[in-house]
Amino acid sequence: MQLPDYNFLSAPLWLVTVLHIVTLTLHFIAMNFVVGGIIAILWGRFSDRWNHPVVQKFIKLFPSALAATVTFGVAPLLFVQLVYHRQMYSASIISGWFWLLIIPVVIVGYYFLYGASFGKGGGGRKGLFLLLALIGFVYVSIVYSSVFSMAENPDHYAALYAGNQSGWLINPDVGEWIVRWLHMITGAITVGGFFVGWLGRNDEEAFKVGKTFFLWGMAAAALFGLVYLFTLGEALVPLMRTPGIWALTIGIVLSVGSLHFFFKKKFLPAALMLFVSLLTMVITRHELRLVRLGDYFEPSSLPVDPQWGVFIVFLVCFLIAIAAVWYMLRLFFAPGDKT
Amino acid sequence: MNYPFWDVDIGYGILMAAIAVVHVMVSHFAIGGGLYLVVAEHFARKANDVYRLQFLERLSKFFVLVTVVFGALTGVGIWFIIGLLNPAATEVLIHNFVWGWATEWTFFVIEILAALLYYYGWKKLSARNHLIIGWIYFIAAWMSLFVINGIITFMLTPGDWLTTGSFWDGFFNPTLWPSLVLRTGICILMAGLFTLLVAGRQYPDEKKRGLVRYNAWWGLLGLIITLPSFWWYFKSIPADIRTAAQEMMPFVMQRVDQTYWFIAALAVVLIVFGLILPKRYNLAIGIVGLALGLVFFGEYEWLREAIRKPYVVHGYMYGNALEVAQQDAYLESGYLEHMVFTTDDPGADLYRRACRSCHTIDGYKALKPFFEGTDEEFIAGIVRGTGVMKGNMPPWFGTEEESQLLAAHIYKQIDQRHVSEIYGLSGVELGEKAYELRCSGCHEIGGFNDKFASLVGLAEEDYSDMLDMAGDFAEEMPAFTGDEVERAALIQYLMTLEEGGQDATAGL
Repeated sequence: MQLPDYNFLSAPLWLVTVLHIVTLTLHFIAMNFVVGGIIAILWGRFSDRWNHPVVQKFIKLFPSALAATVTFGVAPLLFVQLVYHRQMYSASIISGWFWLLIIPVVIVGYYFLYGASFGKGGGGRKGLFLLLALIGFVYVSIVYSSVFSMAENPDHYAALYAGNQSGWLINPDVGEWIVRWLHMITGAITVGGFFVGWLGRNDEEAFKVGKTFFLWGMAAAALFGLVYLFTLGEALVPLMRTPGIWALTIGIVLSVGSLHFFFKKKFLPAALMLFVSLLTMVITRHELRLVRLGDYFEPSSLPVDPQWGVFIVFLVCFLIAIAAVWYMLRLFFAPGDKT
Repeated sequence: MNYPFWDVDIGYGILMAAIAVVHVMVSHFAIGGGLYLVVAEHFARKANDVYRLQFLERLSKFFVLVTVVFGALTGVGIWFIIGLLNPAATEVLIHNFVWGWATEWTFFVIEILAALLYYYGWKKLSARNHLIIGWIYFIAAWMSLFVINGIITFMLTPGDWLTTGSFWDGFFNPTLWPSLVLRTGICILMAGLFTLLVAGRQYPDEKKRGLVRYNAWWGLLGLIITLPSFWWYFKSIPADIRTAAQEMMPFVMQRVDQTYWFIAALAVVLIVFGLILPKRYNLAIGIVGLALGLVFFGEYEWLREAIRKPYVVHGYMYGNALEVAQQDAYLESGYLEHMVFTTDDPGADLYRRACRSCHTIDGYKALKPFFEGTDEEFIAGIVRGTGVMKGNMPPWFGTEEESQLLAAHIYKQIDQRHVSEIYGLSGVELGEKAYELRCSGCHEIGGFNDKFASLVGLAEEDYSDMLDMAGDFAEEMPAFTGDEVERAALIQYLMTLEEGGQDATAGL
């Protein structure tokens, strides 16, 4: 009996890539809100931190934002596995325990956020809960940076596996991912600062905190981004020849534009520019992955055997989901609903 | 064999169960609990029952904390763990069902938002709008089950997909519907059990009596749906899979009967403490009820996984990630040739690929007890015969040389003293142990592939001849490679076997 082959893509590569990039961007925004938001709340200069309405608002929002982070994280995890399964599974196996520990760490972090959100205790306790949650999320970010940088270097993880199969390895080539991780964290601070400024736009103190974190976060992210480019070594020149360099350039311009409008308190264009700049960064990241994997794997070599029938089902359900989300939010935020 | 192998000391089965079991419990509660909340709220509002509404508000907080956090994250955890334990099988599922999963994700988005708005909406939304969001939650949650159920059932009963490769044939497979009804029943059962747990903490007054009875009816309704659908599910599994499981793993099939006992015990708890003595339903009884429900559910999940052996996707990929379609290629050039990731120890590499998905040396499903007191040549013979041994294991497709490398790897990790020394045995008892080690893996007296009738009542020289020829009886059967002491003891033991299925030492 001729058994079906499973080595195929059930939709054109471009479609999978677009879905991956868009959903990953949404995931990053939600994740940055949580991580950057906690940092800004904990270390921003608020005169009466725990009684400040913007701080309280953020503490209430963090659990829902983490729910969004997880929800928006599922889709890109699905699409990245579809195309880069060999690299992703292999790298995560090398760091198996660290990778698996992400789940309990996020669960505990989630409960700390709820603890801070529901808690009636004083600021010290809330601060401690937020700090512990943040430590957990920083752990997650380190493991992600380590695993996904390793996934772009098949020779590296094959050599690591030959020496150790226990799953207790973090990418030992720290130089390969530490700057990338710092860029991600400072990027999160940037976005967190933006949201603090936006949600605290009517409060001078909160806006000032947001402005500080947005500005200095962006400066630091730009610096680490630049350093990261120079750590790419042989991959830098090929990257310059891809559309990724255009995406990066547009991203930098839009980031600065976002900063400009933010300072003028024009939040809608600032938000739009920030979102698009994040999208362009994700595109650059994607292009870099293609460059680094160039000698090992070419995604376009995967045979395509579209499953249009079920794809249409997905599309219809996706539209229903958007409509349901819009409808529920409308119900929830309708003024004077409670009767 | 395109992936590295995560070589952890813990058994893969335990790692998988640690995440999957808790996830399925919570995720089924997430669906049944959603229905419970919205139905109970509807009736409570109609009756203007403030006590019940306050209970539901508290319950929805518990519900969000358990399902949105723990349920959602352990769901992601399943992704993580299957990618670590069996990346090849995960790849098969992802490539075939990515749009199924993407569809499930759209329901997941609705579900999570609706759960949060439902909880935060108690003080903000009108009764009507609150109920609308509750219903949206339940529909999305159940649709999520519908989609994932198609993929889970595919793994045991891929049906026509094996010939067509069509998504729809794989999804609408022979056990989709019975499994869906069964899981829906379990969702309602879990709703009853979890809400009883919360209700058990209420002050024991008349209001509690009504609440506990109401929740107990949910549990019983779940059981009423579960019982026939469990039978229907079981009957829908193709006969060849059930027969193979019955022959190769009779102990698994015996557990099916045990499952009915757990259902009966649970029904007793629900009727006695839920309906007859509701005020006595406290936290401890709630925990007992929940534990019984979880054991029953766990048994079902374990059974589903167990009868799928030796496959991870039935008829397509073995549990150790070997592909059925690649059998000839493996037979031609062996396993090592196909391994993308290797170490400097080919014996260890072979052990990981062929055995380690299910076995450890001395922990989970340990190999030590099967091999201690034997020898390398015997272990190599057993390795080559795994496909016909009890336990429904994947066959061996490697070369003879690879089986010897693998045997050497196992042998160097076990106690290499003589069997008599290891177990402190001699005479007939030593012979019985030798039979257990060298024969019962394939010929269990009174059990799997029993050869008792042909063994009983022979002369000493016949037994001796039989041991001399053991390696010639079948391709998969290893030769007798024990020394003279072991041989004599084994013959001595065989000579004690008597008609009627008993040996002379029984009862000593």
